[in-house]
Amino acid sequence: MKRLVGALIVVLMLANFSFAKEKVKITFWHAMGGSRTAFIQRMVEDFNYTHPNIEVKAEYKGSYRDTLNAAILAYKQGNAPNIVQIFEVGSQLALDSGIFLPFQDTVKPTDYAMLDDFISGIANYYRINGKFNSIPFNSSNPILYYNKTLFKKAGLDPNRPPKTFKEVMEACAKIKKAGVAPYGITWPLHGWFVEQWIAEQGALLANHKNGRAGRATDVYLNSKAMYRIMKWWRDLYKKGYYAYSGKPEDWDGANNLFVSGQAAMLITSTSDVTILQNAAYEHNFELGTGFLPVPDGIKRNGVVVGGASLWMTKGHSKAQNEAAKTFLLWFTNTENEVRWHKGTGYFPVRKSAVDVLEVEHWFDKHPAYRAAFDQLLQTKSNYATRGALLGIFPELRNIVTDAVQKIFDGKPIKTVLNEADKRADAALKKYNRSVR
Amino acid sequence: MEKREVFKNSYLAFILAFPTLIILLLFLYYPTFKTFILSFYQVGFLGLSKIFVGIENYITLFTDPNYQQIFYNTFIFVVSNVGLSLGLGLLLAVLANTKVKGWRIYRLLLIWPYALPPAVAGVIFLFMFNTQVGIINYFLGHFIGIKPDWLSNPILAMFVIILASVWKNIGYNVVFYLAALQNLPGDVLEAAEIDGASCWQKFWHITFPLLSPMTLFLLIMDTIAAFFDCFAFVDILTKGGPAGSTTLLIYSIYRDGFEYFKTGMAAAQSVILFIIVVILTILQLRLSKNWVSYSR
Repeated sequence: MKRLVGALIVVLMLANFSFAKEKVKITFWHAMGGSRTAFIQRMVEDFNYTHPNIEVKAEYKGSYRDTLNAAILAYKQGNAPNIVQIFEVGSQLALDSGIFLPFQDTVKPTDYAMLDDFISGIANYYRINGKFNSIPFNSSNPILYYNKTLFKKAGLDPNRPPKTFKEVMEACAKIKKAGVAPYGITWPLHGWFVEQWIAEQGALLANHKNGRAGRATDVYLNSKAMYRIMKWWRDLYKKGYYAYSGKPEDWDGANNLFVSGQAAMLITSTSDVTILQNAAYEHNFELGTGFLPVPDGIKRNGVVVGGASLWMTKGHSKAQNEAAKTFLLWFTNTENEVRWHKGTGYFPVRKSAVDVLEVEHWFDKHPAYRAAFDQLLQTKSNYATRGALLGIFPELRNIVTDAVQKIFDGKPIKTVLNEADKRADAALKKYNRSVR
Repeated sequence: MEKREVFKNSYLAFILAFPTLIILLLFLYYPTFKTFILSFYQVGFLGLSKIFVGIENYITLFTDPNYQQIFYNTFIFVVSNVGLSLGLGLLLAVLANTKVKGWRIYRLLLIWPYALPPAVAGVIFLFMFNTQVGIINYFLGHFIGIKPDWLSNPILAMFVIILASVWKNIGYNVVFYLAALQNLPGDVLEAAEIDGASCWQKFWHITFPLLSPMTLFLLIMDTIAAFFDCFAFVDILTKGGPAGSTTLLIYSIYRDGFEYFKTGMAAAQSVILFIIVVILTILQLRLSKNWVSYSR
C-alpha cells in the first residue's frame, strides 16, 4: 500500500512537472510533396530540437489549392493551422479572405527579422501596400532548358541558347531540318508562362497598376503584349515546332517530352533544375539553361516571382503567434535558405543566402543554377514585374489555357482574346462583388 | 395467403429505423437541402462570405455559352456512354456465355477492367493515347503513317474519354448480363430450336425480351454512373480541355466549387444534375412498362 501511494505521488509529481513545461504547439500546413515533404520534416525536427519550448508539427496537405481550401475550412471550424503555405497567385485571395494575420505586424525590432534582406524582386511581390503580409519562402520562375547534345548535332552553338522569340523559331527550324528531334520546343500549357511573358514586355495584366495601386477591376487579356505571345505560340504549333502533351497544366508531360529527346528545348520552372539535371545524366545528354526567351525588339523587363509564401492565421493565443513567428524567422534564415536551395532547387529568397552560395562557389560547380539566379537578380523593379494581384487567378489561368487551345484549333487570335477578356472581366466583377 | 403484420405498432419500426434515418438526415437530406439553399447565393471563400443573388446562378447557367457547352458535352457523353456500354456489354456477355474452350479465362478477363480504380484506368489511357510517345500513335504511325492529336482535338478527346469510361464500365454490364443469361429458361430456347428458329431469331425474339428487366436495371445504373463516375477520366486525361470541349457537369461542379471558389455556382449545377438524374430515372421506370416483361 505504501509503495502504491509512493508511486502515485511520483507519477503526480512527474505529471505536474511536465505540465509546468508545456510546450507551445504549432501546426504548419504546406504543399511540398515527394522528397520535399521529407526535407521539410527534417528541417522542422531540427527546429524542435533547438527550441525545446516549441513543438512544430508540419503536415503535407496536397496541392497549393488543396492546402488553401483546407486552411479556410479549418478556420471556419475554429481549428486553423498556425502557418499555411500559399502560392503567390493566391495572395490576393488570402488577403481578401480576412483570416490571416499580417506577418509584419507581429515583427518587433528585437526579432532581427532582416526584412530588407529579401531579394528585391521577391520583396516587391510579397510587400503589399507597403508591408509583408506573409514571409516569402520558396521561389521560382521560368527559364529555358536545352539539350546541348542535340544542339551540337543540329549545328547550333551549344553555349548560346536562343534569347528571343525569333531565335527560338530559327533554332526550331534548324533542329527539325537536321532531324535530330521530332519537335523543337515544349512547355506546359499553363497561364503562368503567359503572365511571365506579359511582365517581360513591361506590360500589365490588370488595371490600377496590376491591382497594386487599388483593387483591379479590369483584366487585360486582349492587349498587344498578349497578341505577340499568342501569335508566336500559334506559329510554333502550326509549324510542328511546339510539342503539346495534349492537356493543360501537364508539367510532367512537358518534362517527359524534353527528357526523352522528343523536344530539344523546354521552358519550365527553375525549381526543376535538380530533377532535370539528374534526368539528363540518366539519359546521357548535356543540359544547358538560359533566360526565358522574350519577344523581339522589346527590352527585357524580367520575370515575376513564382512559388509561395508562408502566412500566419488569426485566432490564436499570443504565445502561439509568438512561437509561430519564431519558427518562421528561423525557417527562412540565411542558413536554412541555403540548405533549402541545395536540397530542392528553389532559389533562396535572401540576399545573404545568395552571398553564402557565391562564397562557396556553388554556381561554378553547378552552372545550371546560374541562369535562374541572374534572371531574377537582373529583373527590373516595376509594376509589370511585381506581378498582378487578382483574386481570380485559378479561373483566369483556365480562361487563358482555353484561349490558347482555341487558337491552336485555328480560331483567329483577336476574336479569341476579345472573348477571353470579356470572360475574365466578368469573373473579376463577380469576385470583387463578394469581397465588398 | 393471409396478411400478417410484422410489427404490432409502428413505434417499434420507427425506433429500429431510427439509426438509418439519422444517417440519411445528416449525410444525405441535410446536405441536399443546404445545396438547394446555397444555389441562391454567391458564396465567397468556401463560405466565409455570402451574398443572396436569387436565381442569378441559374440564369448564368442557362445563358452563358460556356455552361451551355458543358450541358451539351454531358449529353453527348452520357448518351454514347450508356448506349455503348449496354450494347457492347450484351454482345460480350452473349459471347462469353458460349461454352468454348477456356471460357473461364474469357469471363475473368472481361470483368477485369471493372476492378481497376478509375484513376489508374485514366493513367493507362493517358499513356496509350499520348500523341508523341503513346503506343496507339506508335502503331498508327508505323502502319498507316498518321499520328492524330488524340487529346488536343475536341472530337478525338471526347472519343477517348468515352472509350475509357466504356472500357472501364463494361465489365459491370457483362457480369450482370451473364448472370441473367445463365438464368434463362432452357426449355423455351430448346422449343424454339426444335421449331427451327435461327440464332438471330432466338436472340431477338426470346433472349432479348427475357433480359429486359436486367437491361432496365443496367440502363438506370449506367446512366447514373455516366453522370457521376466520369470525373477521374476527365481530370486525368484532359482537364476538361481542349477549350472546354470535354468539361462534363460533374467536373465543372468540382472546379467551380473547389478551384474557383464559386460555391454558389457549383451548388446550382448540383441542383440541375440532381433534377436531371431524378427525371431520367422516373422516366425510365415509367416508360419501361412498355418494354420490360417481368413474368415468364
